[in-house]
Amino acid sequence: MKVPVSWLREYVDFDLPIEELARRLVFTSCEVDRVVRRGAPGGDNYEYFVVGKVLEADKHPNADKLQLTKIDVGSGEPRSIVCGAWNFGAGATVAVVLPGGVMPGGEFTIEKRKLRGEVSEGMILSERELELGQDHGGIMVLSDDLTPGTPLADVLPLGDDILEIETLYNRPDLTSIYGIAREVAALLETDLRAMPGKEPVRAGDEPVTITVEDLERCPRYIGRLFRDVQLGESPAWLKARLMGAGMRPISNVVDITNYVMLALGSPLHAFDYDKLAGNRIVVRRARPGEKLETLDGTMRELDPEDLVIADAEKPIAIGGVMGGGNTEVSDDTKNVLLEAANFEPLTVLRSGERHRMRTESQTRWEKGVDAEVAGPAATYASQLLVELAGARWTGEREVRGEIPAPPVIAFRPGYTNDVLGLEVPEDEQRDRLGRLGFGVDPDWTVHTPTWRRRDVPRDIDVVEEVARFRLEHVPATLPVRQEMFGRLTHEQRLRRQVEDVLVGAGLYEAYTYSLQATDPDPNAIELPVPLSSQQRVLRTTLAIGLLGAAQHNIDMGNTDIALFEVAHVYLPPGPVPEERWRLGGIVEGDFFKAKGIVEAVFDALHIEPTFERAKLRKEFVVGATVQSGWVGTYGPLELDGLWSAFELDLAELFAEVPERILYRDVITYPPLRLDLAFVLDEGVPAGELMAAARKAAGEELRDVRFLSDYRGDPIPAGKKSVAIAVAFQSPERTLTDEDAGRLRGSIVQALAERFGAELRS
Amino acid sequence: MDSLAAVDWTAYQDEALAAIGSALSEAELDDARVKYLGRKSALAQALRGVRDRESGMLLNGVRSKLEEAVAAREAELARLAYELAAEAGVDVTIPGTPVTRGHLHLLTQIRREIEDIFLGMGYEVWDGNEVATVWENFDALTSDPGHPSRSQFDTFYIDQNTVLRTHTSPDQIRAMQTRKPPIYMVSPGRCYRRDTPDATHSPIFLQVECLAVDRGITLADLQGTVLKFFRALFGEEREVRMRTSFFPFTEPSVEFDVTCFICGGEGCATCKHSGWIEMGGAGWVDPDVFRNVGIDPDEYQGFAFGFGIERIAMLRHGLPDLRAFWENDLRVLGQF
Repeated sequence: MKVPVSWLREYVDFDLPIEELARRLVFTSCEVDRVVRRGAPGGDNYEYFVVGKVLEADKHPNADKLQLTKIDVGSGEPRSIVCGAWNFGAGATVAVVLPGGVMPGGEFTIEKRKLRGEVSEGMILSERELELGQDHGGIMVLSDDLTPGTPLADVLPLGDDILEIETLYNRPDLTSIYGIAREVAALLETDLRAMPGKEPVRAGDEPVTITVEDLERCPRYIGRLFRDVQLGESPAWLKARLMGAGMRPISNVVDITNYVMLALGSPLHAFDYDKLAGNRIVVRRARPGEKLETLDGTMRELDPEDLVIADAEKPIAIGGVMGGGNTEVSDDTKNVLLEAANFEPLTVLRSGERHRMRTESQTRWEKGVDAEVAGPAATYASQLLVELAGARWTGEREVRGEIPAPPVIAFRPGYTNDVLGLEVPEDEQRDRLGRLGFGVDPDWTVHTPTWRRRDVPRDIDVVEEVARFRLEHVPATLPVRQEMFGRLTHEQRLRRQVEDVLVGAGLYEAYTYSLQATDPDPNAIELPVPLSSQQRVLRTTLAIGLLGAAQHNIDMGNTDIALFEVAHVYLPPGPVPEERWRLGGIVEGDFFKAKGIVEAVFDALHIEPTFERAKLRKEFVVGATVQSGWVGTYGPLELDGLWSAFELDLAELFAEVPERILYRDVITYPPLRLDLAFVLDEGVPAGELMAAARKAAGEELRDVRFLSDYRGDPIPAGKKSVAIAVAFQSPERTLTDEDAGRLRGSIVQALAERFGAELRS
Repeated sequence: MDSLAAVDWTAYQDEALAAIGSALSEAELDDARVKYLGRKSALAQALRGVRDRESGMLLNGVRSKLEEAVAAREAELARLAYELAAEAGVDVTIPGTPVTRGHLHLLTQIRREIEDIFLGMGYEVWDGNEVATVWENFDALTSDPGHPSRSQFDTFYIDQNTVLRTHTSPDQIRAMQTRKPPIYMVSPGRCYRRDTPDATHSPIFLQVECLAVDRGITLADLQGTVLKFFRALFGEEREVRMRTSFFPFTEPSVEFDVTCFICGGEGCATCKHSGWIEMGGAGWVDPDVFRNVGIDPDEYQGFAFGFGIERIAMLRHGLPDLRAFWENDLRVLGQF
């Protein structure tokens, strides 16, 4: 919300610089984005802005589109000023800036200069040049009773500081200038002036017909009738205020509703009374098929969930959101029905969402506007309609449903200290609450004001009201603890270990999106309303994200690409999937490159991996399963070059990690090493051969290693030669040649029996 | 006896030491060794003829001195040979043999750093699921049914009761449902919001939640904890401040700022010339949240915060664009 500071000062006095006020509000009340200067720079600069009387005005001798004028500016000789506007003549009273004056924006200084051969000593100002309005059709013509030389600042709002704040969700009361003034008064411990608005004299007693069919969604509706409204422009001060607050002036009637909304926080609406069918207001749900063209020119198809303001026949506004074009106040409007109502937040929120609209009034209703402020808002708007639009107030009707009473809270001032860890004197607490509008009884029963009804229903909420003014003084302590123990879980430690092993192996860690365009699992959970088609499905594998990351690196011209990721996958069925930690990797290279990395992970975790050839998804040309996952090599369609990948389920993997590693004596007695080569059928996997050898030799086989796989001469076709290296060792004694022969024999025998393998000599 | 008497063994030793010490190559050294210690040397011959204990001690003394000198000169010559070789052509500025080294993602490095800071303060690290029930993500945290964050325009729904968590705060609820107080935990992890990606927004982002539940926890304890945390992350000179804020699940709610670690508080572009950097939301746990998980708020109190991990990483390391974290460009990852 944009707060013109001159407006704020109407409700509360303060001496401190605006920047300092902004700094302090940030602690206690709301975000302050910035303080900006609007209009002409203030201070001495204002001396250059004066009222002038036009003595002469003729066509510029050398330019058809310019006037050459002589202006009395109250002192010295009349000034010659060249002007581009023609909406005035001799005798007019105008706004003048003299040479040396700095224009709004602060960039442009007026200088005495020649224009087409004639000296111009200043400039005659338009509304737009002074940022007082939108009209740039001509210069501003001022009231004739002003004396030349009068400081312009006494007549017009030349400039203002604007506080740009962001209101918190729980503070609908701060969407008004008066509400902010109340906050400033509480902060600076100064007095808040009475709420603006004085009821004008009632000039008639006409009936006003108002029916509210849905008092839950619209608990209060005040309709006031005004006759003989003189539609026109608002006065400069009002337009300047509106523009300072970021709103566009439209006409005096509309401007008044906006002005009062900004002042007090309760949005108002003005209907052209003569366009109301049956001269009546009905607040009801929309009927199926009803349509309304809203003020922004869009035709809206209404939903029975929409609360509408209607006349006897048709909807004329979406309640709390926007009025309709059919009853809009226009140049021919004579009679106006003013609406000061109250709408429940949810109904406005849902209608706004449904119609994708965002208006000033909507943002206020959504936070919950005090129903009690509708009265003062009606009063203030009435006063202004009478004063500024010459209207006669001739009738009123109010409909009121059940409005919850504001909370009454049993409070204990010590609670504030318990929460803050800081002693806040009782007097200070009582005083602060009082300034914020809370009633505090001698026994500390606290009465929440109506405008804080939703936000402050409990004692802890009262604590916050006091606490937020003391945040700067809260000390920094640490919890006093009876016991203290923090450590990573077993699984968390293993996860870090796995990550470190992969980094040591030369891989870079990637973060890829958990939402992706497609997933190999047809049952993968899809978002009903995704943000984009690229982020639609909750992944069941890390492989696709890593492929994308690899592709991005190829596109960037990077080489030696090797990536891993440790992240969740989301296994169907939904709606709440099973989330599992996975480790995925992708490397440029063949199957064995990826397999080597997987083996390193297994080795670090002290798990013996068992690989088995397997058919993976169709994009893989080579594939194997291993405990908890798979390793595979992509076909040529996926990425340029040869790429291999792997993925392991970490919970499954970690379940195999031995609880502790037991020492084996490999030092005391020496090992005996042997190389053995077998000829056997090509189809027998080397892994199975080695496993069988290990099993046959038993505990005294300390190590078995793969040496080579050879096919070709002199090995017969369909056969291959597999060489392995074995080491026998006992922790209890030195093994003899006899032992070695026995162990070798059992391996040879077992492999012969199982695979028909023959030992090569 | 003749030979013994004929030779001045002190002079012999000096002469031999000089010859050994001045040998400039292994061959010269060998010559000297043969000459003074070899089978045919005066010393060897004299030793063979020794009969009495005294002369034996004398001659053996000379021999061991000379043998030590030979060994010492040998080592010296070996080192000299290296030095000579180096002078002849080893360019020590040529890079060493490359070792392949990978990199942890910056976000993991920061996450671990945060975890370690809190482990050191006796917190546990919680792993939370990213899919949450509406109850865990909103209701139990006393979020208003009309709060805009619940809308389909802000939150990814799987069905009407299930969402991708919009913050790590559902882990507060889960932790309190499964642990008895006191609870001290941090929970880092992925969160999801319907934000269109730009330099500072991503529909997927990382947060770290912190929750402390114990007897007598105050807002001062929150401030002290955050102060320790930020000093560990950003330097011991940092200060923090709290500003009023609003979150449904804390009361009072605050926003934390830390003194700018780029300019030290003087004012710079990073802190928008305020000297302070916004870090994130926190507060004193709302008693109704405790009631929702069956903890008695008269007995236990708590504080909580949730800060963005990317924000910490971007600010500390000067990354201008959040999207870089998800692009995984090796040239970026390799910088950290």
